[in-house]
Amino acid sequence: MSLSLTLAADPVQHVINHKFIVSENGYWIWSAIQTNMVLVSAVMIFVGLFVAKSVATGDEGQGHGRWVTNNRFAHMIEVICDYLRENTVRPMIGERTNAMMPFLWTIFFFILANNLLGLIPIIDLHNILAGTMAPEMLAQHKAFIGGTATQSIWVTGALGLIAAVVINLAGVKELGLAGYLKHLTAGAPIFVWPIIIPIEILGTVIKPAALTIRLFANMTAGHILVAVLIGFVATGFTNDNPLLGFPIGVASSLGVIAIYFLELFIAFLQAYVFMFLTTVFISLLSHHDDHDHETSHEIAEAFLA
Amino acid sequence: MNRFASFTVFAALAFVSTASSVAVAAAEANPIAKPNEGFAAGVTALVLFTIVCAILSVAVWPKIVKGLDERNEKIKGEIAAAEDARKQAKEALNEYEKNLADARAQAQQMLEETKATQNELAAQLKSKAETELNEMREKAKADIESAKKQALDELYSQSVNLATVMAGKILQREVSVNDEQRLMEESLAELKTVNS
Repeated sequence: MSLSLTLAADPVQHVINHKFIVSENGYWIWSAIQTNMVLVSAVMIFVGLFVAKSVATGDEGQGHGRWVTNNRFAHMIEVICDYLRENTVRPMIGERTNAMMPFLWTIFFFILANNLLGLIPIIDLHNILAGTMAPEMLAQHKAFIGGTATQSIWVTGALGLIAAVVINLAGVKELGLAGYLKHLTAGAPIFVWPIIIPIEILGTVIKPAALTIRLFANMTAGHILVAVLIGFVATGFTNDNPLLGFPIGVASSLGVIAIYFLELFIAFLQAYVFMFLTTVFISLLSHHDDHDHETSHEIAEAFLA
Repeated sequence: MNRFASFTVFAALAFVSTASSVAVAAAEANPIAKPNEGFAAGVTALVLFTIVCAILSVAVWPKIVKGLDERNEKIKGEIAAAEDARKQAKEALNEYEKNLADARAQAQQMLEETKATQNELAAQLKSKAETELNEMREKAKADIESAKKQALDELYSQSVNLATVMAGKILQREVSVNDEQRLMEESLAELKTVNS
């Protein structure tokens, strides 16, 4: 219960990253979310290999069964992949879909896996264990694993940077370097270029920055809300006046459950939004006679607004 | 340096300076983005994502893409085959219905022809029967007439003979053949006169 009371005192402390190895000059060499990301990467690779094996078409000797994905989990991943490819990406970037899908699928599942891992209270279990086995770790706010990687703006920034590189490289590949640079003029008359070009260049930074901040802010806000509500639960049930504290505790418990399910939804939603907007930004850097180009502009403006 | 190269250099410099300024400003403005605490995590994310993306792009996504594409092709093929089968079934049904209608029409026609033939045959039979009946009737009439005539002739002949015999007995003389012939012709003439 003391842990819960700590949460109630400062919920932000619960959701921020925890250091594990710190250099002499104060730089965090290794922190809890880095272990999370290593775990997520390993899981993605192993699960990916398993899913690939399950989704791949079987031998001809299996008859019609060769077309069936045998594992339900693999089938779920297959459905998600198919939906993202055919219903989200292909309508926007058309023929470039197959080339871009490996990156887009990876970024979607990387963010999703990190979001979902963040919903597992590993840091709390870690703190409970550390409290009994290594109290000095708890005292120094150190943790080997736990937290939410996508709650760190450095992590989301790295993902945004990768997205920016891919978006612009895809633009250069599609339009050619000259076409890409011409795109920065937005087709405006030459005397407007001194205004338009800096705005367009800012746009190339703002777009991935928007991806970065959106993911970071959504994950952080949701986790802080859950931590605050858990704090209410703790303070409610430990209140000296049970007539006052008990209803608060019960209501907060129900609120935590509800918000937790919302967080589960947001974990999927934010992964999807990141991937979706990356696709939109990729589609913006295409030939202006493309059918869906104007639609992509409208979507991008709506999300950036 | 031509105009395009100048523009490229200008744009690249503008991009780098703007991006750097925004990144530094964002890091300084946001107390959560402390470089000493998050930089290693960011680099780790960068490296891990690159590794994961590379491995998945080589070992996982191509297989999934192949599986999805083959399944899509299979489903499209099955749908096309089902469409063909449906089309063929529809054509077969149409042909069957057409054949059925033809058969019904043919049966009806055959029935009508049979009826007509039957009616014609019946009419012919009736006509033939009537003809035969008429012929038989006529023949019977003729036979009756003939028999009647023959009977009358015999009756007259016998009557003449009888009358001749009686006349001979009455006259006590023998009536000659010529007398007898004459009497008979006279009697016949009288009889014919009476009968007519």
